[in-house]
Formats: sequence, structure tokens, C-alpha cells
Amino acid sequence: MRLLEFQAKRLLAEIGIPIPRGVLVTSLKDTQKVAFPTVLKAQIPVGGRGKAGAIRKVEHADNAASTVSQLLAATVKGYPVQALLAEEPVEVQRELYLALLVDKQRNSPLLMSFDSGGVDVEESAQKAPERLEKQYLDPTAEIQNSVVRSLAKTLDLKDSKALTTFVSKMWQIFKKYDATFIEINPLAVTPKGLVALDAKVVLDDKAAYRHLDLFSELKAEQQKLDGRVKSQPEEMAAARHINYVPLGGDIGVIADGAGTGMLTLDMIHDAGGKPANFCEMGGMANAEIMHATLEVVISNTQLRVLLISLIGGLTRMDELAEGIVRYLDQNDRTVPIVVRMCGTMAEVGLPMLRNAGVDTYEDLDAAVQAAVARQQEF
Amino acid sequence: MAILIASDTRVLIQGATGKVGSFQTRIMRDYGTRIAAAVTPGKGGTRIHEVPVFDSVAEAVSEHEVDAAISFVPARFAKDAALEVINSGIGFLVLTAEGIPELDILTILRSAALQGTNVLGPDTPGLISPGKCKLGVHPQTMFLEGHVGIVSKSGSLSYEVGRVLTQNGMGQSTVVGIGGGPIWGLSQEAVLQKFEEDPETTVVVLLGEVGGRLEHDAAKYIRYHMKKPVIALIVGRTAPAGAQMGHAGAIIEGQEATASSKIKALENAGAVIARNSTEIPELMKEME
Repeated sequence: MRLLEFQAKRLLAEIGIPIPRGVLVTSLKDTQKVAFPTVLKAQIPVGGRGKAGAIRKVEHADNAASTVSQLLAATVKGYPVQALLAEEPVEVQRELYLALLVDKQRNSPLLMSFDSGGVDVEESAQKAPERLEKQYLDPTAEIQNSVVRSLAKTLDLKDSKALTTFVSKMWQIFKKYDATFIEINPLAVTPKGLVALDAKVVLDDKAAYRHLDLFSELKAEQQKLDGRVKSQPEEMAAARHINYVPLGGDIGVIADGAGTGMLTLDMIHDAGGKPANFCEMGGMANAEIMHATLEVVISNTQLRVLLISLIGGLTRMDELAEGIVRYLDQNDRTVPIVVRMCGTMAEVGLPMLRNAGVDTYEDLDAAVQAAVARQQEF
Repeated sequence: MAILIASDTRVLIQGATGKVGSFQTRIMRDYGTRIAAAVTPGKGGTRIHEVPVFDSVAEAVSEHEVDAAISFVPARFAKDAALEVINSGIGFLVLTAEGIPELDILTILRSAALQGTNVLGPDTPGLISPGKCKLGVHPQTMFLEGHVGIVSKSGSLSYEVGRVLTQNGMGQSTVVGIGGGPIWGLSQEAVLQKFEEDPETTVVVLLGEVGGRLEHDAAKYIRYHMKKPVIALIVGRTAPAGAQMGHAGAIIEGQEATASSKIKALENAGAVIARNSTEIPELMKEME
């Protein structure tokens, strides 16, 4: 889960990392709580907010109302702005970059730093890779002093003690809350010490069971502040915890594996068709999940044909056939359904589908051709 | 021969008494896999499909010689179970669980590296050396003994390609699923290296997908170190950037994660590119 800036900063502050004083603004009325001058920052889960005009400085209370209303009415990179973080401006002497993340090539936590932070850090780091410092960390140990000493040297910081505290608190968050990404950019050097001016934090969804209260609180906040309009299948899929990606075409796709699901999309595309969605049920799919997934995908009114791509490994084809047959029994069929089925217990599943009048194939290629042909009949 | 597992591999199974574990244990045993022991805390002294069950891995290895372990332990208990295997000195561990927290995976892989245990997975169907040994959940009827090595991120895609090859009479030496990511124990590159060294494997099929940059490392290995021919299929050519396509690792973040950049890298490395599964046996015939 990618946290919104104010959520990330709250997490940092709770553990003792200095952040600018700030208040959340969700309506014009909230402007009364703001001290001026202030920096207004749109709370949306995307980068490049500054360049997109979603961060604005306001000097006096007099011109606050128009800026606040403008920002709250804006849509930035597809996200309607629902909340602003109003922060006290900080006297910045230098801007640095600091990030703690999981390096997926080395299978290790990685502490990364650059001696000049800010919006152009990626570009600058590419131009001067020798100034980008990388320290691989032992996930089972504490941060070593040598790591911080070396970091302080790269960042040209005299007060390595303040940096030690800062970095060990980041490490604490990383381990305590199962963060997979903590980026402080910029990390400001101020007369009062180090301050996290902006923060991006990603928590590991797979570890949600270890932090149930925290995750549900963060998620509820995000849902409240998510102004995007979702399609009906997206809403239904989210409620049922089904992986659903809308793709804009008219051939619905359901698969029981991610790899064959993506292969099916590519083959539909090569055959001249346009997939309406990607939907993968996972290796633990059964009749209930099949049934629920059908309801989600068929709720898309753009659909002309549905291709179900099944290759039974862990999943049992007799169970999935049962889910399909039950769906057909309960619903007046609105779109033609083509099923590719093979693998575990397909010898039972295929006759069940044929008896229900479903168009079935054992080879993927034949099923894709059939689905695209049906779509082109329209 | 084959790679990683062979007909004489002695196997330990963690979580063999659960629903999935029990079902898969019976299938592996019937296939001919030599199952030496099972481990489920609290069920020591019992038997599952005639296999003796122990309370701990340490007890199991004190009575039986074990070359490889497979874990059907659910994600939230997977770290403890994996560390038990690693600390018992077993050299190869297959981690099937999906959804293990990343910090746990990092801890497992660090211990494994220090102790010299190869970890396959997590979120993997395991592997099969057709006709010799099955250490995982591959539907065995789709595979045939032979000389094609397959390495795949996706389980389902390796079934699909195995099935098409088998229908065309092209058997496989070993079919390895490295897992759905985004963190992997054995990488595609590591498995390619084993296939290159295996006298029984004559040609290798690499099955990849959008997300991450493993295929770029694989391409580098193919380019500089492989003499055997490689056919590569990268799925997700039409996937949109930023959307998660099922696997935790299948999300396009950055240019290198796209299918097209991977296909280009593999092509430049000398691999033959297939656009779909049915093209693979045709390309193989052209090579002969």
C-alpha cells in the first residue's frame, strides 16, 4: 500500500523523525486552522506534484481561499484532489536524498543516498552515478555505525549523530511496519537540524495481517479521499478481492493463472481482438470464486464475448465447471461464453460445460480464434 | 541427470498433513518421487500416505537422509519453517507459498545464502523432471521425459508450454518454476546456468513476463555464456504500465520492465523469440 504524504509523515513523526508542522485541509472551512505563510500540497498518490502545479505556496490568509478552492477542484494525473496538506515553510540550507528500499536484484534492503535532493534527483543521479551511495543492509541486524559514517561523508554532513538517529529511525519503520520503500526527498538540512520535507512510504500488503489496525485505518482514510470514479466491475472486484484490470476493449478475459492470462491477452491482440479486462483467479480458485468472478466480469456493459482461459494445475476443472454452470443456471445469458479447459479433472469439467451448451476448446489457440470470431459477428 | 532433482533425490515435505499438502504428497509419491519424511509440528509419530511424520526437521534428518525439501506451509508461518530446513543443512528448498511478507523472504534468502541452501520460489509450483522426480504441483500428464529444459516465472505458462511440447512429442529434461516474484531465490539466470551444464538438456525454453528486470540478466547470461539454443516467450506484451497483472512481480515500473525491452534484449543475445505457446514446437523443428 502506497501511503499518502500526510499518512507517511504521521508514521515518521510517531517514531520521532522531524517533519514540518502541518494540518490537513479537506474543505475551504479548514483554511481557518492554517498558519500563514504556508505550503499547500495536494494529497494524491503520484509523484511529480510540484511540476503538475499541485504544490503551491500562499503568503497571506487573504489569498488562501482562492488557492484552496482551486486546488480542491483540480484533477491531477487522473486523481481528483480531495485533501491538501498545509505545511509551515522551512528554512532550507541544503536538500539531500535518502531512501531505504528492497533491492530485488540483490535480495537485500538497500540504503541509498545522494548529496542533492529535490525534484530532479533521478536526472542528477544518472549524470553523476558516482555520487549515488548504496549500502546493502543485513535484514536481521541493526544499522552499523560504519554505514552511517560513510553516509555522512557522502552527504557532507558534519553532524553524523543526527544522521545516525534519522537513519536508525527509518530502519525501525522499515522493520516494525513491514515497509518496502521509504523515500525522504528532499531531506532538508535546516538551522534546527534534519527535516523530512517530503516522504513516500510503501507498506507490504502481504504483511497486512501483522498490522491489522494500522492497515485498516490507512485504507479507510485513502478510500475516503479517493475521488476517482470507478466502473461497476472495478467496484465489484474490489469488494470481492478479485484482481481486475480494465483494458477498454470488448472481449472479457478470465484466467486461472497469471502467465496464461497474459498470454491469452497477447493472443487476442494478435488475432485482431481487443481485451476488455484482465482477471486472474489464482491457484486456489474453486466453484465459488469462479462464480463471483463471472459476476464481476460480465457486469461490464461493453462486453461482447467472454473468453475463460483455464489450465488446471492446483485448480480443479470439475470445480470451475460447476461454478460456470451454476452462473448460467442463475442468469439469462447476455454474452456468448467461450471456454478453454484442460488439465486437472478436465475430463469431468468439459462434459459438464458441453451439456450446458457452452462452446469449449482444449487448445488455447482455437479458443482465442473462436472468441475473436464471435466478437466480430457483431 | 536433469537439473536440481533426479530419480534418486530424497525428499522431505513440510505441511504434508494439510489439505493441499496431503493431496500433493500422494500425487508426488505415486509419480515415483522418493519421499523420505514429512514434518508437521505436533503430529510427530504418525504417518501420511505411509510417509513417517516428524515434529521437526532436525528430528527428521537425524533419522533419514534428505536431499531436498518442499514446503506447503502457509505464508504467515513460512519463514520459521524455511529457516528450520536451512539450519538443518538441506541443500535445496522449494517454497510454494504465495504472499510471504518481503521482509520474511529477505531473511530466508540471507540465511539460505549463508548456509548454502538453494531456494526455489516463493510462489512457485516447484519443478518436475518428467519420468524421474516431481517436487511440486505440475499436472504430470502435460509433461514427457526428454531433452527440453523449461524455466518459467509463471506456473500456468509452464504447464501450457509443456502441454504443447508434449503433444508434439518433444519431452522435457526439467521444468522449473522460479515463482511469481517480486523477489526470487533462484533466478532465471541461475537455472539457465544449470541447464547449460546439464548433458541431458539440448535446448532451453525461457518463459518470462512483464515486470522486474530478471530477463535482462538472463539475456546477458545467454549472450556471454550459453552455447545451447534458447527459445524465449515473454507474455504481457499488451499489458498497460502500472497495472498489476496477477503476479506480484508483474507490474511495469520503468522501461526495463516492459515486454518489448525484454524481447529486444533476448533477441540481441541470440535467443529465438516465440510470440505464443504454439509457435514453440514449430521454432524447435526449424532448429533441427
